[in-house]
Amino acid sequence: MTRPGTIAAGLSGAVLTGCQGAQSAFDPAGVEAERVLTLFWIMLAGGTAIWIVVIGVSYYAARGKSGPYSDRSGIRLIVWGGCVFPAVVLAGLLWWGLTMMPELRRAADGPTIAVSAERFWWRVAYAVEGEPGVIRNLPRGGVPSANEIWIPLGKRTEILLSSPDVIHSFWVPPLAGKMDAIPGRVNRLVLEPTRPGVFNGACAEYCGTAHTYMGFRVVVVPEAEFEAYVASQALPAATTDGSGARLFVQNGCAACHTVRGTAADGDVGPDLTHVASRRTIAAGLLPTTVENFAAFIRSAEHIKPGVEMPAFGILPEEEITAIAQWLGKLE
Amino acid sequence: MQVFGKTQDNLWTLVAAPTIWGFHFLFSYFLAAYRCAPNDDIFNTIGGTRAAIAGVTAVCLLLILLIARRAWREWRADGGGYSNNQDTPEARERFLEFSTLLLAALSFAAVVFETLPVLVFWDCR
Amino acid sequence: MTDTTDRTPTGPDQDDEAVRRAQEARLREVWAAPKGWRYWSAVNNTEVGIWYTALSFIFMLSAGVLALIVRAQLAVPENDLVTPDFYNQAFTLHGTAMMFLFAVPIFEAVAIILLPQLLGARDLPFPRLSAFGFWCFLIGGVFVMGSIFFGQAPSSGWFMYPPLTTEEEFTPGYGPDIWLLGLSFIEVASLAAAVELIVGTLKCRPPGMRLNLMPLYAWYVLVVAGMILFAFPPLIAGDILFELERLFDWPFFDPSRGGDPVLWQHLFWIFGHPEVYIVFLPAIALVAMIVPTFAQRPILGYSWIVLAAVGTGFISFGLWVHHMYTTGLPSISLGFFSAASEAVAIPTGVQIFVFIATLLTGRVIHSVPMLFVSGALANFVIGGLTGVMVALAPFDWQAHDTYFVVAHLHYVLIGGMLFPVAAGVYYYWPLVSGRKLSDRLGRIAFWMMFAGFNLAFLPMHYSGLAGMPRRVWTYPESLGVGTANMISSVGAFVFAAGILIIVWDVLRPRGNEPYAKRNPWNAGTLEWLVEMPGESWGVRSIPAVTSRYPIWEQPNFIDDVDNGRFYLSDAAEMKRETIITSVLDGKPLQCLRVPGPSFMPMIAAVFTGAMFIFATFHWWAATIVAMGLSTISIMVWLWRGTAVIPEKPEKDVGLGLKLPLYKSGPHSVGWWAMFIMMMGDATAFLGLVFGYYYFFTIHADFPPPSTVGPGVLWPTVAFGLFAVAWATAFGARLSNQAGRIGRARVLMAAGALVALAASAALLWGPYVTGLRPTAHVYPATVWVITIWTAAHGVAGSLMLGYCLARSLAGRMTPAHDIDIFNVALYWHFVGLTVIVTVGTLAYLPVLM
Repeated sequence: MTRPGTIAAGLSGAVLTGCQGAQSAFDPAGVEAERVLTLFWIMLAGGTAIWIVVIGVSYYAARGKSGPYSDRSGIRLIVWGGCVFPAVVLAGLLWWGLTMMPELRRAADGPTIAVSAERFWWRVAYAVEGEPGVIRNLPRGGVPSANEIWIPLGKRTEILLSSPDVIHSFWVPPLAGKMDAIPGRVNRLVLEPTRPGVFNGACAEYCGTAHTYMGFRVVVVPEAEFEAYVASQALPAATTDGSGARLFVQNGCAACHTVRGTAADGDVGPDLTHVASRRTIAAGLLPTTVENFAAFIRSAEHIKPGVEMPAFGILPEEEITAIAQWLGKLE
Repeated sequence: MQVFGKTQDNLWTLVAAPTIWGFHFLFSYFLAAYRCAPNDDIFNTIGGTRAAIAGVTAVCLLLILLIARRAWREWRADGGGYSNNQDTPEARERFLEFSTLLLAALSFAAVVFETLPVLVFWDCR
Repeated sequence: MTDTTDRTPTGPDQDDEAVRRAQEARLREVWAAPKGWRYWSAVNNTEVGIWYTALSFIFMLSAGVLALIVRAQLAVPENDLVTPDFYNQAFTLHGTAMMFLFAVPIFEAVAIILLPQLLGARDLPFPRLSAFGFWCFLIGGVFVMGSIFFGQAPSSGWFMYPPLTTEEEFTPGYGPDIWLLGLSFIEVASLAAAVELIVGTLKCRPPGMRLNLMPLYAWYVLVVAGMILFAFPPLIAGDILFELERLFDWPFFDPSRGGDPVLWQHLFWIFGHPEVYIVFLPAIALVAMIVPTFAQRPILGYSWIVLAAVGTGFISFGLWVHHMYTTGLPSISLGFFSAASEAVAIPTGVQIFVFIATLLTGRVIHSVPMLFVSGALANFVIGGLTGVMVALAPFDWQAHDTYFVVAHLHYVLIGGMLFPVAAGVYYYWPLVSGRKLSDRLGRIAFWMMFAGFNLAFLPMHYSGLAGMPRRVWTYPESLGVGTANMISSVGAFVFAAGILIIVWDVLRPRGNEPYAKRNPWNAGTLEWLVEMPGESWGVRSIPAVTSRYPIWEQPNFIDDVDNGRFYLSDAAEMKRETIITSVLDGKPLQCLRVPGPSFMPMIAAVFTGAMFIFATFHWWAATIVAMGLSTISIMVWLWRGTAVIPEKPEKDVGLGLKLPLYKSGPHSVGWWAMFIMMMGDATAFLGLVFGYYYFFTIHADFPPPSTVGPGVLWPTVAFGLFAVAWATAFGARLSNQAGRIGRARVLMAAGALVALAASAALLWGPYVTGLRPTAHVYPATVWVITIWTAAHGVAGSLMLGYCLARSLAGRMTPAHDIDIFNVALYWHFVGLTVIVTVGTLAYLPVLM
């Protein structure tokens, strides 16, 4: 971290105590977020100074001066204050902003992860064969997951982004700026985390009623742990029998969800093979607990207004509990 | 438009320089967009595109300088100075010439701004 | 007219009070607004301008109420005061209404009131067009705003990104259709206003007002109206594509059939960014009038303001992609827009420093308008500085679509537009009602607004970077933005209370409060010639102007105007008249008869509005009937109200000057209006053609090898027929001019028929090759361009038929040929349209 960045972080820590979540751009944990925050603090300082001077001069012009100045000095003010100074400052700032970009968009040296933003959750596939640049569709295959993205520390991970329905935007403020997921296009975003941790992501482009609740988590871990995680996600479900699994298929859940190792192979909603290993359910909304599984099955719409999943409150309570308990075991 | 003789300014001569900026801007943007549109290899260099934009930039800057030079000369010939609020054709000319000069200066700066990306980016990433 | 002594105010009879009284009685009668229910047939700029302004403010207050609902919902985390669905409608309608029903219309409204006053004109050249614009605005605005009471309001954000908005499965109901059709209709009204204001500024200046003497407000109006002319048509093109997709499933934005949702973003923001400056510049124009008055000196750096206005006008068209930094475009493309976005800050800075320099070199009088101006400055500079920040793509990747941007845009729009407009309300209120608003209430309102505004929006910069995206219904407590949002909500209500105080100040009963004194602020420009209370004639006589601030600089000016010692101090023929002058030097060219009250604009607007509304609900038969009625009513309006042959060729307008009453061709205001309108029309067409080349660029093979195009044969036939139609229109004009009326009539009739045949041949091409518009974006694009051009052919045919009828009815003669002159001009544009259409659709694929 550069020196201004350090000062800035200290400042933000002091001023904004208690206001830092894992979703704040003020608390960076990625190369891009750090550099942009530095840029912001410097622009903020410069901007504040300019504002004070401009307002000070206007106040002086309107109230402070003892008598009118000459036209000549007025024109001089316009030329220097209105033209030369802004042109020079803006040119310098533009140069800085531009030169940041090729560096931030450098090629990845880590894994490629395909992320499909769908109403209102995130389909994730690890270990896909990615290629840089715009292709029309996301690569197929890979290890499926949802709503939680693990990435290795110290590597540049390439996220390939698209959407089958409407435009969404992938944003993890502590790591990097956002990138849109646009139907018919594949965009790429490189994440380069600088410290391990769990970070919140959000959908930043309005995509419908449940836009507010289209969150996710990014988990930054050392590279070995990342490899192990992907390998474990590739395995079939931990428990594939019992009443919960049977009811899951019987009651139609399998039409939308996949649990590898069972008959459930729906492709509409999130893959639930390892759902209990994820920190949250309902796209970053609820902590993963058996009670929350049950509540969400009972009435998803109540918890996440606008969600596409229908309510299953008509099911007998014991069936809901059985399914929830089974899901709770799918680590 | 005469460059060296004395001409009558009007609204079209006033907007000539920013129009050149507009042309330069659209040319640069469309060329780069066209070049980068297939975008299957975003780390390939695009030297030709950059050179073409640089060439057009040079021509545009030259044209803007010619406009500025004409406006400057005629403004001086009409007496120069910032005072152009009199009820005479000369004052009207002086006003248009000086405004043209200012717009040429702005357009020059804006074209230079537009050229900076060409210096910084060498591929379609 | 170069000899200034010509303009010395004289006129022997003007010293006779009886003569003056008689003149005044005639003027008063001619310019009086109709009484009773006929009042609504008024078209004069004073009436229409005030209705327009009042309605804009009503929409602003309604949109403000929606904002308060939004703020109430966001006051605390995890709130459920309103449903998400209502919330989404509220923020969408708030943005939509503030932009389309307040920010742009208020410019048109204020300009319609002020411009004639500033130019010492009696009215703008096309008062009925202004009235038509107003009625369109009323119908479209009520339709869009009213939808929320039926739960049918658009709910996808004010920029309506497809595919969310174009696919029935994501947005069932009528919301997007209401947005689209309602606003297209209002865009038409804006274009009408743009035509009116450009011609008004260039041609309706008082004698002697050269370009270098024009009030700064007029410069801004000219620039902004020009911007509207080039900014709105791409959106209209986008609207056409959008609605064709929504209603008929033409796949312009559907990637599964070759479309691309990003095309809409381009078309929307090519409109949307200049739009910001279309909103900002007219407000700054008010500041440019207010500052010199209270600095008690002419503006310092007149040329610099003109530089800034024109420069901003241009550069603002190079910013649109800075709303699309996160769409994954190549860095080099983002770089160009980043550069332009930084460059535009230079002219903006110049304007601010011109105002500061004017204050620095003047003796400043403190007043409520100046208070609002200083508040505007303080807030706008913050908005400008954050604008410089978000113009850098890397920073915008973080800030985009968050509350940081919400804060930024409100600082720009409220600081740059609402505060100056409030200053304008306090400054110009005497012009409207003859009385000043309360100083005390003004100060209270200002401080509440200023404090409330900053409380509301300053914390949003923080909320956004702390991770709060835009357009969220609520947020979890763990996000840590609860306090910031609570402060924002409190601030919003304080701000609203401040606005309510202004509303009260404007509406409160005045009792017997005396009128303000003439020119109450001691200003120098022509609009302050108005009497307190104002007379319907605007100015008693149209002055000869020799300076920028005539009231300050021309001795005995008000008295000369009042005693009718200048031009048109009488209405001897009981007709509404104003003077048309030349563009560069304001030489008098014509005495223009402007039309008086009529219900036709209202009727035409009602039918046009009905057409859009019926289309929204897919009532196709009713739509077609309404379209027919709207065409007929416009024809009736034109037939009765335009190109009227005067009873004598010229008249004495005073000071020994005789001016013609009828002028055609490039000397007539109608020709200018046609030219300007067709520039807008051509821009919309280029928007559609842009779509074609856009798909050409993003697809490896476009047209797709598997599809056939419209062929070469039929487009070529159509091209030939269009060439004939163009030649007959042009020939008809020349024959008529040469006095060969018979030949001209034959040519007009033939041209009308050939134009129909040409349109049919053009449509026949894609029809006969079996292009199905729903199959792929290629046939859809071919069809939309073809239909556009064919529709212009049909309209051209109607126009030639209209000219023929005018000729037969004796309303068009060799000497009075405005109609055919303008129609021939129209056909030149159609010719260009056809060349581009046939070249692009038929020949380009062959060549490639």
